[in-house]
Amino acid sequence: MVALSFAQDQTGKFGPVGPGAPEQRKDKAPQGPAPKMPDGKPDLSGVWTPNNFFAMGQPSLTPWADALYKERRANLSKDDPEGHCLPAGVPRISPFPMKLVQTPALVIMLEEGNIHSYRQFFLDGRGHPKDLDPLWMGDSVAKWDGDTLVVDTIGFNDKTWLNGQGLPHSDQLHVIERYQRPDLGHLSVDITLDDPKAFTKPHSFNRTYTLLTDWEIHEYVCNEFNVDAEHLVGK
Amino acid sequence: MKLGITLAVVFGSLCSSLPLLAHHSFAAEYDSRKTITVHGIVQKVAWVNPHAYVWVDVKDENGKVVTYAFESLSPNALMRGGWTRNSLKAGDEVTVDGYLAKDGKPLADGSIHANSKLITLADGRKVFAGSSADNAEPTK
Repeated sequence: MVALSFAQDQTGKFGPVGPGAPEQRKDKAPQGPAPKMPDGKPDLSGVWTPNNFFAMGQPSLTPWADALYKERRANLSKDDPEGHCLPAGVPRISPFPMKLVQTPALVIMLEEGNIHSYRQFFLDGRGHPKDLDPLWMGDSVAKWDGDTLVVDTIGFNDKTWLNGQGLPHSDQLHVIERYQRPDLGHLSVDITLDDPKAFTKPHSFNRTYTLLTDWEIHEYVCNEFNVDAEHLVGK
Repeated sequence: MKLGITLAVVFGSLCSSLPLLAHHSFAAEYDSRKTITVHGIVQKVAWVNPHAYVWVDVKDENGKVVTYAFESLSPNALMRGGWTRNSLKAGDEVTVDGYLAKDGKPLADGSIHANSKLITLADGRKVFAGSSADNAEPTK
């Protein structure tokens, strides 16, 4: 038996592998119609494991972002905030599951990885605060577009990396996620990243998740014994 | 079985292999070309995040005991692989395949810093398999 690991493929992308890895769970998705909230909206609640870890692809980078990206690659990602137990940011994911808890006015995302970060998608009609502090996970407001939950997130700091390779973003990052639950066992998220300082044009991709009915999210206290940090030497 | 160290430092091209990574970059911390296999006795197991660690006491060629500290996967990943905090215990005789740390520096407790990819018990059972690096990015 092989435990879940991260892997780097020939193109230098990272993701989970092995029988315990999420992609092995794809065919085990429970079948049935998507559950509904009492108000008739889809209920996105559940423990979800990502299927396509590499889905983000490669945005077209501005010279500023390209130079930063190349520097991080040359350093073998030694300064990745996640390696230092800092939040992974948005929309970066870990290969571990996340849990959505939905109420009529609020959807909460609880991350198992990503150092246990949480996100709040406010569904009560509020807008973004006018004067946002730079945030690791951004400020998210949401609304329904039919059966699609549209989550709009701004207010980021520029400290997080968009992936383990060091794909950069700036504090101008704007993330729009469109969550759909086509059936009981699947979650589909269309994600658009806009960042005029880092990308030459908006970058879109789709990420899917499978519902886990026999796993809960697990405790993961990253700073418990992170002896790695001082040994990340890069080249 | 005689306890001893088999240290194999392989300077081959691993360009065709696939590195495995943990919450940090494997290539930034460990050297995929410095593979090791050690045989010894488990001193202790730490079921902690972001990586479980296994300390193994190994007798070198002169009979002196040296301690290796092997980074494994995170407990949540090990758990989903089918192992628990009791799968490996102090006193267990093990053979560990892994990689040495790139900086060559010991951990704070003086143990030799390495990364395990497979731990085999004396009865042949394999535990804590699937390391943060079965193969790794070649060091340029």
